[in-house]
Amino acid sequence: MSNLFPRSVNKLPLQILVYLFLVGGLVTAGIAYYATPSYANVGYAPVQPVPFSHALHAGQLGLDCRQCHSNVEKSGHANVPTAQTCMNCHNQIKVDSPLLAPVRDSYESGDPIPWVKIHQAPDYVYFNHSVHVARGVSCVSCHGKVNEMDVVHQDKSLTMSFCLDCHRAPEKFIRDPKLVTNLDWKNPKGEADQVEQGKKFVHDWNVKPPQSCSGCHR
Amino acid sequence: MKRKFEHPAPSEGELTGLRYWRSLDELSATEGFKAQIEREFPEGASNMEGVDRRQFFKLMAASFALGGVGLATGCRRPEEHILAYGKSVENTIPGLPLYFASAMPVRNGAVPILAETHQGRPTKIEGNPTYAPYGGATNAIVQASVLGLYDPDRATTSTIKGAAVTAADVQDLLTRIGTAASSSEGAGLAFLADQSSSPTRAALVAKLKAKFSKAVWAEYEAVQDEPPVAAAQAVFGKSVKPLYQFAKAKRILAVDADFFHSEAGSLQFARDFTKGRRVTKKDDPMNRLYAVESIFTLVGSMADHRLRLSSCHMRAFVAALADKIIGGSTYANLAEGLDVDPKWIDACAADLVAHKGESLVVVGSHQPADVHELAYRINAALGAIGSTVDFVAISEKSAADIGVLAKYIEGGAVKTLVILGGNPAYDFPGNFDFAALVKRVPEVVRYGYSIDETSQLANAHIVAAHYLESWGDTRTADGTIVPVQPMILPLFDGLTELEVLARILGETITDPHTLVYNTITALTGGDAQKSFNQFLHDGVLAGSAYEKVEISLKAQGGGMYDPALLTKTIKLSKDNLEVRFTTDAKVDDGRFANNGWLQECPEPITKLAWDNAILVSPRLGKELGISPKGWSQQVTRIETAEFVQGKEMAFIGEVTVNGRTIKAPMHIQPGLANYTIVLPLGYGRTAAGHVGNGVGRNFYPLRDSNHPGFIIGAKLVATSERHALANTQEHWSMEGRDIVREANYEGPNSYQENPGFASSFGLETHSPAIYGDLTAEEFSKLSQEERAKITAERSTQKERGNSLYKTPTFDGVHQWGMSIDLNTCIGCNACVVACQAENNIPIVGKQQVLAGREMHWIRLDRYYSDGRLSPETFGGDINKEIPEDPQVSLQPVACQHCELAPCEVVCPVNATVHDEEGLNTMAYNRCIGTRYCANNCPYKVRRFNFFDWNKRQTDEVYLGPLGHSGMPELVKMVKNPDVTVRMRGVMEKCTYCVQRIQQAKIKQKVKAGASADVKVPDGTIKTACQQVCPVEAIVFGNVNDEHSAVSKAKAREQDYALLGYLNIRPRTTYLGKLRNPNPAMPDYEDLPLSRKEYNSKNNSAHEGGKKEHGAASLSNAKLFGGLS
Repeated sequence: MSNLFPRSVNKLPLQILVYLFLVGGLVTAGIAYYATPSYANVGYAPVQPVPFSHALHAGQLGLDCRQCHSNVEKSGHANVPTAQTCMNCHNQIKVDSPLLAPVRDSYESGDPIPWVKIHQAPDYVYFNHSVHVARGVSCVSCHGKVNEMDVVHQDKSLTMSFCLDCHRAPEKFIRDPKLVTNLDWKNPKGEADQVEQGKKFVHDWNVKPPQSCSGCHR
Repeated sequence: MKRKFEHPAPSEGELTGLRYWRSLDELSATEGFKAQIEREFPEGASNMEGVDRRQFFKLMAASFALGGVGLATGCRRPEEHILAYGKSVENTIPGLPLYFASAMPVRNGAVPILAETHQGRPTKIEGNPTYAPYGGATNAIVQASVLGLYDPDRATTSTIKGAAVTAADVQDLLTRIGTAASSSEGAGLAFLADQSSSPTRAALVAKLKAKFSKAVWAEYEAVQDEPPVAAAQAVFGKSVKPLYQFAKAKRILAVDADFFHSEAGSLQFARDFTKGRRVTKKDDPMNRLYAVESIFTLVGSMADHRLRLSSCHMRAFVAALADKIIGGSTYANLAEGLDVDPKWIDACAADLVAHKGESLVVVGSHQPADVHELAYRINAALGAIGSTVDFVAISEKSAADIGVLAKYIEGGAVKTLVILGGNPAYDFPGNFDFAALVKRVPEVVRYGYSIDETSQLANAHIVAAHYLESWGDTRTADGTIVPVQPMILPLFDGLTELEVLARILGETITDPHTLVYNTITALTGGDAQKSFNQFLHDGVLAGSAYEKVEISLKAQGGGMYDPALLTKTIKLSKDNLEVRFTTDAKVDDGRFANNGWLQECPEPITKLAWDNAILVSPRLGKELGISPKGWSQQVTRIETAEFVQGKEMAFIGEVTVNGRTIKAPMHIQPGLANYTIVLPLGYGRTAAGHVGNGVGRNFYPLRDSNHPGFIIGAKLVATSERHALANTQEHWSMEGRDIVREANYEGPNSYQENPGFASSFGLETHSPAIYGDLTAEEFSKLSQEERAKITAERSTQKERGNSLYKTPTFDGVHQWGMSIDLNTCIGCNACVVACQAENNIPIVGKQQVLAGREMHWIRLDRYYSDGRLSPETFGGDINKEIPEDPQVSLQPVACQHCELAPCEVVCPVNATVHDEEGLNTMAYNRCIGTRYCANNCPYKVRRFNFFDWNKRQTDEVYLGPLGHSGMPELVKMVKNPDVTVRMRGVMEKCTYCVQRIQQAKIKQKVKAGASADVKVPDGTIKTACQQVCPVEAIVFGNVNDEHSAVSKAKAREQDYALLGYLNIRPRTTYLGKLRNPNPAMPDYEDLPLSRKEYNSKNNSAHEGGKKEHGAASLSNAKLFGGLS
């Protein structure tokens, strides 16, 4: 009964171990890559051409979001301000700051400043800022506390399931539209009251966030 | 227990009876056709072509290799930038479109438009509703014009002697021409321009003539869209043109007049005409249309009585009519030799006379002046003038014609020829040799949009700006002055025609904006800037239409009848054919040949795309012997055991006129005059660009400038060569069921007797109450209000009828639905192109259309019905004859948005699902391309992206990863940013313009804010097809609101669902078509021919065997009711 199996079979247990190790490694790497917030770019904080601080402008100085993102109530895009908007103030303040040179250049030449995009919905998603703002979804729900960020980073995953969490239970997030740009506001009476108030808003304003494909994909 | 249901076996009558047929193949029920209609997609559509298996594996290996490279390099999301403006732009909000009023100039007319721009990039054209006669409607050509702006083949630089030059060099050139001419009062200078109705250009031309008195100003248009002024001169002694008021006409006779398409102002005519046809309730009046024509036009398809007659016999026909209506001795001898049933003319004349003041005779513009003269006299006798036709004063034409120009050139008197627009090297008639003429001129300067046939002969080419890049002004057909505003700076430094003329003139003001400003403000007076701004805002200069004039008939005798032609009506035969040249429905006279949207759009009647052909009548086809033996109906296609979908293997024929011969494929077109062959103009361009080059044949060389519309004495010889025509007519047949439902307006079994006629036939009549508690017929008997109410209630109701399918939840605020009125739809294709522009629908090219892969989301089905076929001998020899004179019914079909959509249940990945407002949505990202949905769609309205149409040129799709990927930047600019651009391997279809719905809903919600007012008001949302429709046949809206326009339309008695018996509850429904024939006419039918066919198919069951019918309905009852 010799030579029933070829000699190479002797190596098989080792081979199986190596393969299992490789497969296990791949799975681990895959999960580490695809199933973590970093895949969804949470924490993404690229270096911007101008070191603009939201903590200073929106936090310390208390500028309203809409001061610069002026079309957020009208358009689907929350516009990044034009250089001219910056210059409205910065032709008085910090007129010669070298950090603001790109802004001055852009204003003079008309060439845009290449701001790096942080919150990026895929091309096939048609997110609309105006409707969320108008119906009481605060900036903070998706962007986090921008008024405390020196360098803006992506705070939430912004995946489809993130969207649906709110579209399926808007009462948890909805607030008086007057308060949407108040990033520090939280229901003073706590979570339970938020849901109760939220339910009232959902009912009174006939809030029916779309949960079907056509709401966001066209 | 598992139950198995089988469709009841068709009755004998159904098997042997008659049916609608869409193509000659269907009529003859060839094996190939039968096999084809069984398929989800046409045969070959799913097959790979041009690549064999080995090659396929090579390509796949290559793509995997490339995929690996991709994985290794770009894992994470690429860095993207937000580029905000440096300086804020007035009125511009990123993400929101802006609309500007402008106009598209077309020959003597213009179409007022609103151009949609996204951050300065025009993407879509809508009509300007401020201009009431067009009411915001446009046509396919206007819709497609935006693609022309981004044509990668347009000229990008001006050239002199082939070398690129700067804008300054061009100015120098123009100034030099001007100064050289001014020293000699313009001697040696000649202009050849196309027609224009621009007041500013007219002023500049007047200046030019004053300054350069010896210069020649000639104008040439290849096709005529207005009646010859000479006719009006002869009859009224004034320079006037007719403006038809179809809305006031109860009886209309169209003599060789395609007033839906080829006449100036046809948009208004179509709109007005259908106003008299919009029968919304019993006792609403309906107009009657008689059409006499040599070709088959959309007017003919709409006609209540249609007479086939050669164009050259129209004079005799109109004379015979004049004899009946006006009387006297003058006309009878003109009508001699006319081969038309005199009863037809008698009854038609009597009907027109009986409606004095409300009847109208319209003659096609291509007809000679004397025919128009006769028609004017008839209209006067009918009391039409001032009622159904107005005459407006137009300035007398002072341009020389091409004959005069040719004489000057031949005499050597022209040293510099400036060609403004047009394309004379391509579209000059055959009796002029333009190339030879141009050779005799030392300096030829061409101002044009692309380096076309004419530019190739010129010494210098000046780049023209697109109308969306230009300042200008123009007039609509009724004379209303409308602005042409730039939406974007000229992409390639193009000049406007106004600037070219002003520079040659040496004017101090050459800026076209100022030129237009001066023209308009001179007209308006008052606060110049304010009135000019108002003009630009409205897009219309109020009160600027041509003035209506009182006219009186001149006495008989001053007429222009050519005695040589008076003698006899020429008899036509196989050896003495008449050739009729037509303006193409898509590429016009050839100017839009490089527009892929238009090229791919099937011609409304022939359904040919990407080609033109010699259209031949069935009888001529037979006499030419191009019908293979044994298959008398297979005329232009040989069917040798196999059927190749979409490919019409046409025989090539040689047509010879006046010694000039052209070879072209022949297409048999039922409904033509027997010995008239039709040659559509505008194809066979050699220097149009990538799209238009070599598409079709150029028939201009056969033309004679003295007889531009038609010519007699042609010979047609068939050869044995073949050519594949891309014909979409056999695609996606619905197997000849009760699809288009028609009735007569009055008479037996008519709309008046039974307004709910559409529900009283068809399979639904046999089925139990699939509409809930009421059967279709019972439902149609309710009042309109009740029906609207019930429909609104049902739109959110979940379970009703019996269905295997799970009903989706319809709990949205709105429930969307659409109604299409087949009675007003003229089948003009405007919706097809508008949909393409709005929804980023790709162009696939001729090869792919041949394979049945066209992507249009909405299609127009064209059905022929003959009514003469006898069920007893179906398949017999008589029925193998191609009917020479069928009726045509047209039906637009897009996704019907079934409530119980069969496509959804078969999708393995939930890529197509219902939303809460009744939309059958398509999530492209989920789609894995199984195509099961298309397989299960009863309407065949789903389209599959077989290739990356948006990334690959149509001639490179088979190269896979080896081919060039990506489109020129210019082409990408036309895309609508609100609609996803689909990739290879996904299914797509009509979405009811979901982007427009969502935008309207969002706008309403923003407005609502902290309130519950989220319901979008009726009429806010217009789908692209609805917006463009010149006849308002399409109504879209919320069916949950019983007072909405769409609910009212659906509540009309003639409402029916396509294949309604399937109980899939489509949200799009149709309104049955009506015909209004005259009982006194010899060709009167008490039922439309399609109904005759339907009845003869089913009545044999009714009459021959009542039992059988009963059995059928019993099994139907089992089928529909037995499931519970």
